[in-house]
Amino acid sequence: MPATPVTVFRKNPADPKGRYQEFTVDIQPTQTVLDALHTILYEQDPTLAFRRSCRSAICGSCAMRINGRSRLACNTQALDLFRRDGHLLVEPLKNLAVVKDLAVDMRGFWRSIRAVRPSLVERQGEVPQTHYAIPGKRFNPLKIVSDCIMCGACLSDCTVREVHPGFLGPAALAKAFRFVGDPRDGATRSRLAVYSEPNGIWDCDTCLMCNEVCPMLVKPLDAILLMREAAIENGFVKGMGPKHALAFYETVERTGKLHETSTAIHSLGARFFSPGNLALTARTVLRGKRPRLLAPKPKGLAEVRKLVASVHRERYRTVP
Amino acid sequence: MAVKRDILVVGAGLAGMRAALEARARGAHVAVLSKVHPVRSHSGAAQGGINAAIRPEDDWRNHMFDVVKGSDYLCDQDAAEVLCSEAAENIYELDRMGCIWTRDDKGNIAQRPFGGQGYARTCYIADMTGHFIQHTLYEQMLKHDVEVFEEWFATALVTSQGRCTGVIALSILEGRLEYFQAKATILATGGYARAYRTTSNAIANTGDGVTMALRAGAPLEDMEFMQFHPTGLYGVGILVTEGARGEGAYLLNGQEERFMKRYAPEKMELAPRDITARAIQTEIEEGRGPDGKPFVWLDLRHLGEKKILERLPQITNLARSFVGVDPVKAPIPIQPTAHYSMGGILTDLEGQTPMPGLLAAGECACVSVHGANRLGGNSLLETVVFGRRAGRAAAAYAAKASQEDGGVDALRREETRIQELLKREDGERVSRLRTELGDTMTAKVGIFRNGPDLAAAVQKVRELKKRYSGVNVGHGGRVFNLALVEALELGSLLDVAECVALGALDRTESRGAHSRRDYPKRDDERWLRHTLYTRRGDEVAMDSSPVRITKYPPQERKY
Repeated sequence: MPATPVTVFRKNPADPKGRYQEFTVDIQPTQTVLDALHTILYEQDPTLAFRRSCRSAICGSCAMRINGRSRLACNTQALDLFRRDGHLLVEPLKNLAVVKDLAVDMRGFWRSIRAVRPSLVERQGEVPQTHYAIPGKRFNPLKIVSDCIMCGACLSDCTVREVHPGFLGPAALAKAFRFVGDPRDGATRSRLAVYSEPNGIWDCDTCLMCNEVCPMLVKPLDAILLMREAAIENGFVKGMGPKHALAFYETVERTGKLHETSTAIHSLGARFFSPGNLALTARTVLRGKRPRLLAPKPKGLAEVRKLVASVHRERYRTVP
Repeated sequence: MAVKRDILVVGAGLAGMRAALEARARGAHVAVLSKVHPVRSHSGAAQGGINAAIRPEDDWRNHMFDVVKGSDYLCDQDAAEVLCSEAAENIYELDRMGCIWTRDDKGNIAQRPFGGQGYARTCYIADMTGHFIQHTLYEQMLKHDVEVFEEWFATALVTSQGRCTGVIALSILEGRLEYFQAKATILATGGYARAYRTTSNAIANTGDGVTMALRAGAPLEDMEFMQFHPTGLYGVGILVTEGARGEGAYLLNGQEERFMKRYAPEKMELAPRDITARAIQTEIEEGRGPDGKPFVWLDLRHLGEKKILERLPQITNLARSFVGVDPVKAPIPIQPTAHYSMGGILTDLEGQTPMPGLLAAGECACVSVHGANRLGGNSLLETVVFGRRAGRAAAAYAAKASQEDGGVDALRREETRIQELLKREDGERVSRLRTELGDTMTAKVGIFRNGPDLAAAVQKVRELKKRYSGVNVGHGGRVFNLALVEALELGSLLDVAECVALGALDRTESRGAHSRRDYPKRDDERWLRHTLYTRRGDEVAMDSSPVRITKYPPQERKY
């Protein structure tokens, strides 16, 4: 399909607000969005800025938003997307400042990566002369994170980072799990303690965007949830996050269903009775949301408890 | 204000990071400077694995023999001995650093067969071996707080009285030039297969370090030996790992014949890369591609879905995204692709060049461990073995050397050069010259070569160099000027391409990856020698040096 319209976000120091510019690009079948950007750079506008290097989806340079979603430009077939959506819109990653056009300032991303202490901590006295004789399958849990190429797509589409810039974000927490789940690492407990602090695993709102957009099929959310379980197992239960999870769990196990009032009281503790929260509760009740204070025990509670126990056993098999 | 460090490492792939870590561990004040962020380096694209004799029934001497024979007897055998005898300890060290090797149920590091070797000694992590090692080394860089100047493009070496005293570099983000002063500079800038139209290399692999060394007066070695990887994805040249054939994949022509039986009856698909690439090229040129098209098939189907997805997940995704083929269900169309630069900056076994204060490691260097043809699985090995050695030698050198200046003039010269590029308002486009260069190299300095084509290529590259002096960047801005970066990179490519073509024309024999149709035989009497290139004014002067043979005298090479 020759002459395809491509809209590109432009911004430079002289134009700090930025604008959208439309190009008409001759895009051939099997050409990628990166090919289209190169055509623009070489034939129409040598001022266009973007990052790229390997053009085979392994270096992570060319993550950008294409038709509203963060992807790698190099492995995104341009015409497929154009046919599906009727347009091609290329913008820089979100949640990071734009340096120029499609190139963002990645320093915020790398700061988060560094914050999780991303390197193996040796166990005192257990370092082998040659290599660790640990069966391969014990590394299997790491497969959900180890292909991460640090492109920043997940951080860009992270709905928490958008409103809470301190949040470490999916890529950094995936990197954290790469060590929490490593049988060689000697700092599992201290890692879980640190990751349980504010800005860490409990600040994720489990929206699933990170799993959804990752071009390498990494699952940061799964890693975050596994670390939450491991943190609770290791006794790191301070804060609203773990309290909420535990209260949720406890009420389901005890009553067979979610008891919202007691979950709220357990999660918030004394804060439940703060004027602000009581006012919110009152408004909620007035609007018609009235959780029952005393719920009858449902039938099949024994079955529910059996299920809970079995899920518990299964899940923890994958957590060190 | 110059940035002053004991040691400066240019390039942050595996060789650069390993060198920096070693120098840092030895107490040197070290900084790394790289065009791209370290994890974006092209080492991460290495797929299949890294060789080491680590089993009781294997021996590094067997590995060394395979290297020597694979090199068509052109490697320096003392260097090959270092490579192979230090392999195991480097693999183990990476494991202790945190590399997640694929392992068996007993915890042994798994190994797969690779081309041209008598034993299955290629350690791996699925088909993402480079990725895993690269991220492991980057983790170590963070752990040991090694300073990195990211997205700084080194444009020239600074020399003072024949000694290297650092580099001039351009900040890509800000557009300003800076003098990075160092007692020792280690170049680890990778290869230059981007000079070719069809290549597996990243866009950044433009031989900047090799060119800087040449321009500063350091000699290059064996530049004519460019490796063509047998299996690049048809049309795009993206790498499909040799590990696919290591796991048992077949090469088939249009008649679905396993044609390798006619070229390497014993090793079949696991013949060395030079022989396999020539076999594929011959099938294509003789019209035996499917419907006479310029590709052959790489067939994985009989391996089964489980093995394909477990051992070769990356190439499965690449084939799906780039050629729309699912390797579980259909064969992959492949063609040879310019892949690896065997030649490079001449160094000794410690990574030192003849120029004091200048070292090199990895693909940009020529130690020489690969000779006329590199075996798969040895490039990653070279980066860690010789990266470490270069870091060690640089630290020792820096401990005794003084800081010498000399950057003021160089900085002014580079500023003028860049100003001229930015200000020029007319002239040819960079992309046009680069396309002509790629077409020339692929057509005339490719898998099969001959005298008249090579002479024409030399002439064409020289013509392009002339035209380059009037090239038009088209953009005068300083912040993230991608067009300027590409113009500088083209300058690098033209200088290395001239050497590749000159060396190929000069070497009137066929050896390893250098295959002359007009001189089809290996000629040990005349050409069991390394080619050397040194810049004299605007010309490149050619010379040669003997090959160091310690254990295995040259024999006929058959597989």
